[in-house]
Amino acid sequence: MRRNRIQTAVALAIGGLVVALSLLAPLLATHDPRATSPDAQLEPPSRSHLFGTDLLGRDVFSRVLYGGRRTLGVALLSALVMLAPGLLIGMVAGFAGGWLDTALMTALDAMLAVPPLVLALALVALFGSGSVQIAVAVGIAGIPSYGRVARAVVLEARNRPYVEAARAIGARPAGILRRHILPTIAPTLLAFAGVTLSWAILNSAALIFLGFGGDISAPDWGVMLADGRQAFRTAPWVALAPGIALSATVLAINWLADSAVSR
Amino acid sequence: MALVVVWLAGSAAFLALRVAPGDAVDATMARVGASDEQIAAQRAALGLDDPLPIQYARYWADTVRGRWGASLVNGQPVTELIAQNARPTVTLALAAMVIALALGVTLGVMDGLERPAGLHWVAGGLASLALAAPVYWTATLAIYAFTVAIALFPGVGAESPAALILPALVLGFHASGSIARVTAASVREAARGDFVRTARAKGLPERDVIDHILRVGLLPVVSVAALQAGFLLGGTVITEMIFVRRGLGQVLLTAVTNRDYPVVQGLVVLAALVYTALNAGADALNFRLDPRTHRAE
Amino acid sequence: MDNGRKRGRTPLRFGVLGILLVGCLLLATIVGALALGGDDEPARNPGDAIVYGLTLNPSGFDPHIHQSSELGIPFFSVYDTLVYRHPQTLEFVPGLAERWEMAPDGLSWTFFLKQNVRFHDGTEFNAAAVAANLDRIMNPDVGSQKARVLLDAYTGYEIVDPYTITLRVSQPYAPLLDALSQVYLGIASPAALKANTNNSYQWHQVGTGPYKLDEFVPGRLIRLIRNEDYNWGPVFYAPVVDDSLDTIEFRFYTDPATRSLALESGEVDVVGELLPTDAELLAGNVEVDVHQVPVPGTPQQFFFNTRHAPLDSMTVRQALLYGTNRTEIVDAVYQGRSPIAHGPLTSTVMYYDPAVEQMYPFDLDQARALLASQGLADTDNDGILEWEGEPLELTVVFGPWNQMPDVAQLIQSQWRELGIDVELIQVPDFPSLRQRVRDDDYDVISFYDFGVDPSILNRFYFSGAVNNWSGFSDPQLDQTLYEAMRQTNSDARRTLYSAAQIRIMEQALVLPIREYVNLVGVSSDLDGVVFSAQGWWPLLRNFQLTR
Repeated sequence: MRRNRIQTAVALAIGGLVVALSLLAPLLATHDPRATSPDAQLEPPSRSHLFGTDLLGRDVFSRVLYGGRRTLGVALLSALVMLAPGLLIGMVAGFAGGWLDTALMTALDAMLAVPPLVLALALVALFGSGSVQIAVAVGIAGIPSYGRVARAVVLEARNRPYVEAARAIGARPAGILRRHILPTIAPTLLAFAGVTLSWAILNSAALIFLGFGGDISAPDWGVMLADGRQAFRTAPWVALAPGIALSATVLAINWLADSAVSR
Repeated sequence: MALVVVWLAGSAAFLALRVAPGDAVDATMARVGASDEQIAAQRAALGLDDPLPIQYARYWADTVRGRWGASLVNGQPVTELIAQNARPTVTLALAAMVIALALGVTLGVMDGLERPAGLHWVAGGLASLALAAPVYWTATLAIYAFTVAIALFPGVGAESPAALILPALVLGFHASGSIARVTAASVREAARGDFVRTARAKGLPERDVIDHILRVGLLPVVSVAALQAGFLLGGTVITEMIFVRRGLGQVLLTAVTNRDYPVVQGLVVLAALVYTALNAGADALNFRLDPRTHRAE
Repeated sequence: MDNGRKRGRTPLRFGVLGILLVGCLLLATIVGALALGGDDEPARNPGDAIVYGLTLNPSGFDPHIHQSSELGIPFFSVYDTLVYRHPQTLEFVPGLAERWEMAPDGLSWTFFLKQNVRFHDGTEFNAAAVAANLDRIMNPDVGSQKARVLLDAYTGYEIVDPYTITLRVSQPYAPLLDALSQVYLGIASPAALKANTNNSYQWHQVGTGPYKLDEFVPGRLIRLIRNEDYNWGPVFYAPVVDDSLDTIEFRFYTDPATRSLALESGEVDVVGELLPTDAELLAGNVEVDVHQVPVPGTPQQFFFNTRHAPLDSMTVRQALLYGTNRTEIVDAVYQGRSPIAHGPLTSTVMYYDPAVEQMYPFDLDQARALLASQGLADTDNDGILEWEGEPLELTVVFGPWNQMPDVAQLIQSQWRELGIDVELIQVPDFPSLRQRVRDDDYDVISFYDFGVDPSILNRFYFSGAVNNWSGFSDPQLDQTLYEAMRQTNSDARRTLYSAAQIRIMEQALVLPIREYVNLVGVSSDLDGVVFSAQGWWPLLRNFQLTR
């Protein structure tokens, strides 16, 4: 459909732009993203500083460019940690049913009950502060939700007539899984994958906001957003730039997930 | 089953807390320069230097009996602490849930059914926005815009029922994001089903076609909603802090900072109970709405 | 067939959406009921009432037990102390004790108490009351965190007569009066102490002060109302006038970025610890005044871990002091609203020696020369100095409070100029900070405390002290600090503390950054806003509301 084509095109464009800019950051950045210049703090956008400067006089444009690498990297790692086990558990539970289902769901519920904050604290204690640790903590915290959705969708698909028919004929479970169930549940799962990616980005930002970040001087959209709150009334550009970057990225991810559906 | 969940969750929290650096005595006495003897004495008095298995056993023995202990920091019974702070959190979470459901389903259905024509993009965009912005950001902007720039709502820290609206809107808006997206995808997928084509081919009125689409497409909403309820209760931590609202989120944050084990463990056990109840409710609702799910193997 | 079936079925569009709608309405009603039937909201009291924003919800509010300075903000006015420090002159003036004497051998102090003083619950204040308070603080079961530490050399009391009490110390102890002047040694009603458990007392506190505790809802609200009978205050308390405050409500504003918003929306009348950038913003607002209130104590500072090479070399440490541009830091992070700190004590602490101000001016060349003299050189031209063949990297550890992360990032940039790589470690809370100390996992660490008497140096600089995070052991310094604590003669103390401050800076044990200044936003309707000598605690008695 035409609309979806436009949507997909825009999403690809944005996504491509974000990835390209992140990769090309060293070439495109006008300043060293970590170089402080306190005399030039909180300057509005100008020719020398495309997005202005922050509280310590660092160039926001360069930081947004480099920040993309970090933020995207963390988000991907986080999503990976979340999706793989979540999907596996959810599908096994939904498909197998019975005691296995109950056992797995119980484990997932228990995980949900532990506040991500406590989880993050433990991980940071074991492995030190840092973006990787936050990514893993957020990822683990997200497993139960993805698992549950995966299971719900599998359950729904499993009981469709054609699946029943396939089983009646005696088709193997693996075959049923691959040929019938996967295509049915793929769209919802992809959509939720998009959601989890965004969730990962935001929750990492939240943990950073609460103080569990590692290298605080490294450019990172989440860190920049949290810091940007402090001066948002006198210098809104400090948070606006990473904010727009973040929102655009999430939008693109979600639209791409949508287009994966419309085939 | 609920018990197993509770046990697992409580144990996980117990371990996580012990692994984390420092303890309650660090958070309080040591900071001021109390002598080593005083610190050691306090630790012993609180039972913090007993071997781990003993602490673990003691903890569960007490919890089961309803003795959830007292704060290591100020001695207030955990149950009392929770009781005092539960109402505002629950109120906020419920209010946000209402908004999240209403907004999320509306946006999702609009986006999924792709009507009204042209505007559905906006719906999708809003949902993405809800997922793309951090809560602490929208919260700050909302506070500035609606309590300072235009004094529509009471400022942060007010106690009136009106003060519930802005935080509920912000939290609800964010929670609606994932509900909307899952709904949209699911509805869209349902709309592609064979039965839809068949129904349309048979000349069924569009309204009935949409019936069918929604009946199938809205099923995941229940699960997502139950999950969001869980996240809402957790998400109140930052929201309560920014909007200066009393509640369990703030209690948790303080307790974690102070390594106040009994309080954190109590909250985790409580959360486990709530989540189990919610999920059981969601399962039951799913069962009722879609008889296909409970077909015996 | 199909048509027949479908017509018979309820239009589930309404069904499904209908269920959702009903569900939402149901939830909404529940919410409404909860919110409206909510627990008794404290109505804004008539009369002169203000809302005061606290910035931190400490682990406890009992002055005898807990150590947060935040608790003193409301409770300084609920209690009187035996003596007070005059906010301007810093001298000790009568409080509940109308006069006092120290024995010639310095081993006991006798306090002559005011008469006709009553606690808020009507009971009488007397020597027995003071005794009961001291017993409580010294009782190990009570677990006093700060009060007991402040009393240090105190060993016991003797009630001479109903209004005279003698305190004994194991050795001459100069900081005794200072300890007794702090809110942690506020005198509570023994009847109230007895009527509560150790833990529940904090929510039912009873003192003799100008305001009474009316209601305390933990985490949400503390309400004080005026004590009409109060007429035994220290000399710097203003008399009651029409505009004096009848009621003060304290609420908790832990998020820095929204404090100024609350101030501007009028929801709060006073709130401290504003962000420096917000203070700049509010400068233009006629409805709000920003007060810069200095808080004496140690400055915001970093300790060098002298156990880790190359920081075990005094010259290297000195180089770092020369190489840090503190003016730049204070201007950028604190918008120039704080004095730069030069020594281990702020300029408002007693016996501060200005000589430290000349010791380490910002001088990059000097810094580089000193580093070179210790054998640090950039042998591979990568911009980083090498130390024993390895690139020099220092780990700097700090918490998220008071803009320390921004300070640390600037230090990282500045020391990069010297050729030193800095690894920044931000820990989320105090126990994590302490853990790093226990693991000896830091080169430079941020830690500071407040107080008017320079004996606060003891806990940081005595050899082997729990909070001696520089790990430095200097018998000469120990001796000086020990003597200064025993000396009650003012001039002698001055000389000793001068020596101590200079010695600490000569040895370059600490990197001072700025003197702590509390940026307090106050509604312009409020006059008479002054703070106690210790800096944190408002003299609510003197506030006047002109609206």
